[in-house]
Amino acid sequence: MRKIAEILIILLLGFFLIAEGDLLKPLPPAELKNYFVEKGVKQTGAINLVSSIYLTYRAFDTLGETIVLLLAVSGVIMLFEARK
Amino acid sequence: MRESEIVDMISRKLSPYILLFALYLISYGHLSPGGGFQGGVVLASGVILLCLARGEGFVKRKLPPKALSLVETGMFFIFILMGLAGLLIGGYFLENFFLPGKIEKVPTESFIFFLNLVIGLKVGAGITLICFYILKQEET
Amino acid sequence: MMAFYLIISLFLLGIWGIVSKDNLIKKIISLNIFNSSLVVLFIYIGSRTGSTAPIMEKNIKNVVDPLPQALMLTSIVISICIMALALSLAMKVYKKHGTLSISRIENKLNKDE
Repeated sequence: MRKIAEILIILLLGFFLIAEGDLLKPLPPAELKNYFVEKGVKQTGAINLVSSIYLTYRAFDTLGETIVLLLAVSGVIMLFEARK
Repeated sequence: MRESEIVDMISRKLSPYILLFALYLISYGHLSPGGGFQGGVVLASGVILLCLARGEGFVKRKLPPKALSLVETGMFFIFILMGLAGLLIGGYFLENFFLPGKIEKVPTESFIFFLNLVIGLKVGAGITLICFYILKQEET
Repeated sequence: MMAFYLIISLFLLGIWGIVSKDNLIKKIISLNIFNSSLVVLFIYIGSRTGSTAPIMEKNIKNVVDPLPQALMLTSIVISICIMALALSLAMKVYKKHGTLSISRIENKLNKDE
């Protein structure tokens, strides 16, 4: 009984996701992509556009993500080395 | 926790090439697909292969966990210092200050190259530390 | 369109796995599937505007949008951190109760009260 109820609720969630239809519409014209393709190589000097985005244009997100790694490592050490 | 001889022999022969590939991924991050995060994870997996084949007491004598923790926190501070250096020269936090307008004679991509090295070492040390602490509990 | 339906079915499989499985490690693996399906969704939407990888060598036009790929790099590392902490917590639960099955742990805790 409980398994049938779980499957029905998941299928209902799937029906709502598909019926919204927001992801099948055609995309708007990509203006940021044209900016990165034209000026990215000259302003940063790197050919790899993905590296130049996450290290110069969006370097603050990379800083926040190194903070998350530091917190995860200290969380694992805290769980396994707790002294009485 | 010592594995059979085939696993031991193959992991000892294969592990330096995995570390060399990780160094290639980190340092060619601005010219081909790769970068700091990808190279850091491959670096950690090269060390974990040795750890799974030989027991982790063997690897801990070469790479003590205190040194790895010092590398990880030190790289975090170097990242923040690079950001503050952009503020001192006169721009904004984490600015690319090797552009031809501000500092001459240094190629522009050295900012990305240096940050890739810092992030690669940080991610490698962090994930290796996580695996050292999880694998230690097997002896009890 | 077929890719969109497959991504939604991976998303729903992840949620179903978290809700209805009994073993703790299977719940954690379903959490990983759920995280990875969202990463695939962003990269699929970004790949519909071009045709080659975003590395600007000589005479390459019509590249894919590089921005969702740069955002998903951070998201993949965060999902590694989530899995590391979840597996460490599962190890502590196993040491304290001796079993990894949620219904048995529930019965034990309800009997002790």
